[in-house]
Amino acid sequence: MSVLQMSVLDELPEPSLQQRKHWLLRWSRPALGLLLPLGLALGWEISVRAGLFSGRLVPPPSVIYATFVELARTGELQSHALTTLARVAAGFAIGVCVGTLLGAITGYSALVRRIIDPSLQALRAIPSIAWVPLFILWLGIFEASKVTLIAVGVFFPVYLGVMGAVMSVDRKIVEVGRAFRLTGVQMVRRILLPAVLPSYIIALRSGLGLGWMFVVAAEFMGASEGLGFLLVDGQQLGKPAQIVAAIVAFAVIGKITDWIIVGASAPFLRWEDRFNAPAGKD
Amino acid sequence: MLVLDRVGKTYANGVHALDGVSFSVAPGEIVAVVGGSGCGKSTLLRAISGLDTPSQGRVLLDGQPVTTPHEKIGIVFQEPRLLPWLSVAQNVGFGLEDRSKAERNSLVAAALSRVGLLDKADVWPRELSGGQAQRVAIARALVPRPEVLLLDEPFSALDAFTRVNLQDHLLDLWTYFKPTLVLVTHDVDEAVVLADRIMVMCPRPGRIFDEIESSLSRPRDRQSAAFDHIKRRVLVALDRSLDRTSASSGPEVKVSAGQALWW
Repeated sequence: MSVLQMSVLDELPEPSLQQRKHWLLRWSRPALGLLLPLGLALGWEISVRAGLFSGRLVPPPSVIYATFVELARTGELQSHALTTLARVAAGFAIGVCVGTLLGAITGYSALVRRIIDPSLQALRAIPSIAWVPLFILWLGIFEASKVTLIAVGVFFPVYLGVMGAVMSVDRKIVEVGRAFRLTGVQMVRRILLPAVLPSYIIALRSGLGLGWMFVVAAEFMGASEGLGFLLVDGQQLGKPAQIVAAIVAFAVIGKITDWIIVGASAPFLRWEDRFNAPAGKD
Repeated sequence: MLVLDRVGKTYANGVHALDGVSFSVAPGEIVAVVGGSGCGKSTLLRAISGLDTPSQGRVLLDGQPVTTPHEKIGIVFQEPRLLPWLSVAQNVGFGLEDRSKAERNSLVAAALSRVGLLDKADVWPRELSGGQAQRVAIARALVPRPEVLLLDEPFSALDAFTRVNLQDHLLDLWTYFKPTLVLVTHDVDEAVVLADRIMVMCPRPGRIFDEIESSLSRPRDRQSAAFDHIKRRVLVALDRSLDRTSASSGPEVKVSAGQALWW
């Protein structure tokens, strides 16, 4: 039920019992899921305040909040977040470009796929963190090795997604393009790209998810700034509240970047005939 | 003039789908190709369209060989094959990318109003019924004004009522443009109601078995005796075309004249 509908209900002189029950039921479902985490947080807060536990290693929510606000006030949080964001952005951009290009080529040409896909699949089987020592040896301990690690993490889901999407484009639709004598470039722009877009967006989102995962790994290996550094720093100096604050920051920024991809692509995907799409015209 | 010169097709897997098919179609003529399943009707149409290359022989349009899709040849498939990410109007204008925007818009609007779907211009293909979608597909194929329109069982997926409607509709459009129509169908009624000439094909390998002229004046009365007479001739030819091979392969198909035939 939307806010608008609720306000309409509120203005009704005498909402019937049924209506009240209706929206209470609607809201009780998500609320049910919040019960456990909120209950635990509240319970912990109360136990620490009551002196049952010291809360030194597991800080209560109020301390985490205070740490978060303090880090934000000094600007530390923002600068660390920006550094991390820049690393993810750079690694994501590189991973997406290479993954899209190779995925499109291998999806299109069976010959190229037979030549390079087995090697890429073999490389994919290596846990990407295992590259860390090699990247440090090759690229040093600064940005290059971090961005490369993130790019590797982003590359594989994008590559696989694009290859699979291009391979599964409906032959019948491609034939329409052929019947209208599209050139290779036109075929890509007018048929293949729109056809693969829905799967591409999903590939980008999983790539981005892995990018956020790998930036932590990258920042664990000797960084002097970044949210990952806040984690390591919090561990070494025994500041658990700072660790949790950094984790929260990761969650928030990660989710926002995911929303950006979803939001930016939504206007191009309105044509999709999804089973849960809103009925009627867009 | 569309000329087929001993067109044959053998697929890479060795299937001999088409053997020495020769006939010519005059400008503005409507030719229907009928035959049992697996007789190479669709293979033949794909060879004419340039989507597939024949293994033997050649297809000529106005004396020029057709080896790849040709700008003067349009095609309508069994399924509408609309592009789901384009609106109905954009689908109709798909083959007009090289025209100016104003010209494209006016051509698309004219085409949509001719197929009676002007009010659907801005909806997505998913919101159309099967018959509406096929009308859009026909409009898309006709809007670049092809000399030849190929139709591959275009109405076979539609219900009987919609099918009859669209057959009449196709004739209306044909009256307007007078393109050459080559129609592959397994519906004898459809062939008789639309075509000037009906080619009956027989399978393994696909060949022209018989050719039946139909000089009935249009619009044709599906109930008239003359209609029934031609239909009977087609059905008899179909029956014979299958009898020749039924001993060695496939179940025999019993045909009762005067009844719509579905393969």
